[in-house]
Amino acid sequence: MQENEAIVRAENLKKTFTLSKKQQKIEKTGERRRVAVDGLSFSAYRGEIYGLLGPNGAGKTTTLRMLSTLIRPDAGDAFLCGHSITKEPQRVRDVIGFMTSDLKLEGFFTPDYLFDFFGAMHGVDKATLARRKKELFSRFGIDKFSEVRVKNLSTGMLQKVSLVISIVHDPEVVIFDEPTNGLDVITAKVVTDFLEELRRMGKSILLSTHIFSLVEKLCDRVGILLNGKLAAEGTLEEVGKGDLEKTFFALYESEGGRL
Amino acid sequence: MKFFALMKKEFHRFFHDPRLIITMLLPGIIIFLLYGILGEALNSEKEARQYHVYLSGNSAVTAVISEAAQKNGDSVEWMSIDDREAAKDAVHDGKATAVLVFSENFDATEGGNVDIFYNASDETSAAFYSLATSVLNVYRVRFTVTSESLLNDEVVGMQILCSILPLLIVAFVFSACMSLTLESVAGEKERGTLSTILVTSAKRSHIALGKIVPLACISMLGALSSFLGTALSMPKLMGLSLNMLGAYGFWNYFFILLLIVSFVPLIVSLIAVVSTYSKSVKEASAYTGMLMIFSIILTLVATFVPALGDWTVAIPVLNAVVAMQGLLAGALPVWQSLVSVGVNLAFTAILVFCMTMMLSDERIMFGK
Repeated sequence: MQENEAIVRAENLKKTFTLSKKQQKIEKTGERRRVAVDGLSFSAYRGEIYGLLGPNGAGKTTTLRMLSTLIRPDAGDAFLCGHSITKEPQRVRDVIGFMTSDLKLEGFFTPDYLFDFFGAMHGVDKATLARRKKELFSRFGIDKFSEVRVKNLSTGMLQKVSLVISIVHDPEVVIFDEPTNGLDVITAKVVTDFLEELRRMGKSILLSTHIFSLVEKLCDRVGILLNGKLAAEGTLEEVGKGDLEKTFFALYESEGGRL
Repeated sequence: MKFFALMKKEFHRFFHDPRLIITMLLPGIIIFLLYGILGEALNSEKEARQYHVYLSGNSAVTAVISEAAQKNGDSVEWMSIDDREAAKDAVHDGKATAVLVFSENFDATEGGNVDIFYNASDETSAAFYSLATSVLNVYRVRFTVTSESLLNDEVVGMQILCSILPLLIVAFVFSACMSLTLESVAGEKERGTLSTILVTSAKRSHIALGKIVPLACISMLGALSSFLGTALSMPKLMGLSLNMLGAYGFWNYFFILLLIVSFVPLIVSLIAVVSTYSKSVKEASAYTGMLMIFSIILTLVATFVPALGDWTVAIPVLNAVVAMQGLLAGALPVWQSLVSVGVNLAFTAILVFCMTMMLSDERIMFGK
């Protein structure tokens, strides 16, 4: 595979949700359908970190959920390592590691047991699993807590365990939804350092965030998502023009957003 | 491999949690102990009573009273009266049990009279009064009292077992399957741990089977524990010998077990489907409660509506109950049992398919 090969290729993705009466009441709207993602196309390449930047409700999480095959697009398709999310969802799940706060680990089990379990669920052989467990547990300091039940772990340690388990099968594409949300500065640094390490290893990383500093620190390229559409895309220099935050708010206002 | 990993996880979850093991096995042990103690209390051997009764006048009913007393392990000594008042005083003082005074030609005339004097505060005297009046009531209206029972104890026991046991089995199976399945499926969905499994490359059908198969095996333990607890204590509760269970042949037990084995996965998959559909354990519990009531109604229909007909084999739950009733009545409804097992397994397969579809449905799995 080439360095500039598109590992993630989204083509005209569209997703619409039906609003329940309760949601309509909460959001004080009469509309029955809400377009979450509207014709989204972008590509992420091997060995790069691609950031989806946008406010709450822009469609970031919906996009990542479609890419991880948890939900199906109404229209369009996306290809991860050449596998279609609509036609080959199972193959897609083999090549991705997905981490989001919505996916939880069962508190009864220990990190050691869950690592083995999810390894088996991804079809990793025992020898590879043992080697990866040793490497990753030591890298994140989980080894001392490997036999502690997940429900008894601190938030930071739990996040590290979730991260390690999401990449148990050494996936080509790592998808992170708000990777540093709710983390203390130390754990956040451990996570961001590891994302950089994954990039050096040639993995493609796709992350969603609304934190400018995280994008500026980590991302090679960024796509600004507003109202389900890509408002801008390119390298940090191309999109940010020296000041990402200023550019973002200018785009936000031009799309009808109010500060 | 993925399917086995899923199964292993469910077994690990159960066998490494002593609370779950106790919750599953305890009902059977409690039922056995409770029914046993209750049976012991109800049917404990009482001391043989000896009634000393003063008798005035003649009637053939005295022989019937003596015979009835003998049936209870008691005996009656009839004594002639010299002085009625002295006899009454003896009863009052506890020296005699009762005084019976028959009118002249009591047996020959309609409207004959009998006077009974007894001491209500004396247990033996009160027991004799009860015995004598019950015999006299029947005797007076010219009923023929036969001391020989037309049914033997085993047949009576079988009749009671076949009306009660299927109902209890349905209730036990439901309660054994409920707690575990609700927690494992609806609980995991509510906590978001099921979604973590959905993001792996395991097939949805493997995830569904990986839940249902181990949960059915574990629930089977609970159901069998409750079944054994009930079956072993029921004869004792009814004052019968445990030997009455020997009245059933090997094939009766085999088919009962086979019906339970086919019935448990059906209930587990039914609760699993409801749990997958529900947003929370609370919602799933409410639906499952309704299903349990419906199943018990079906069981009651089978118990109280005679000769339902062969169409019942097509209805899950009802088919197993009807077949079990036949087996517990001492019959051997082979084809009915086998078809019921087949129907239950077919419905289980349909429910596993439904759960697989639901796991792939984002509105069910991720709908707000």
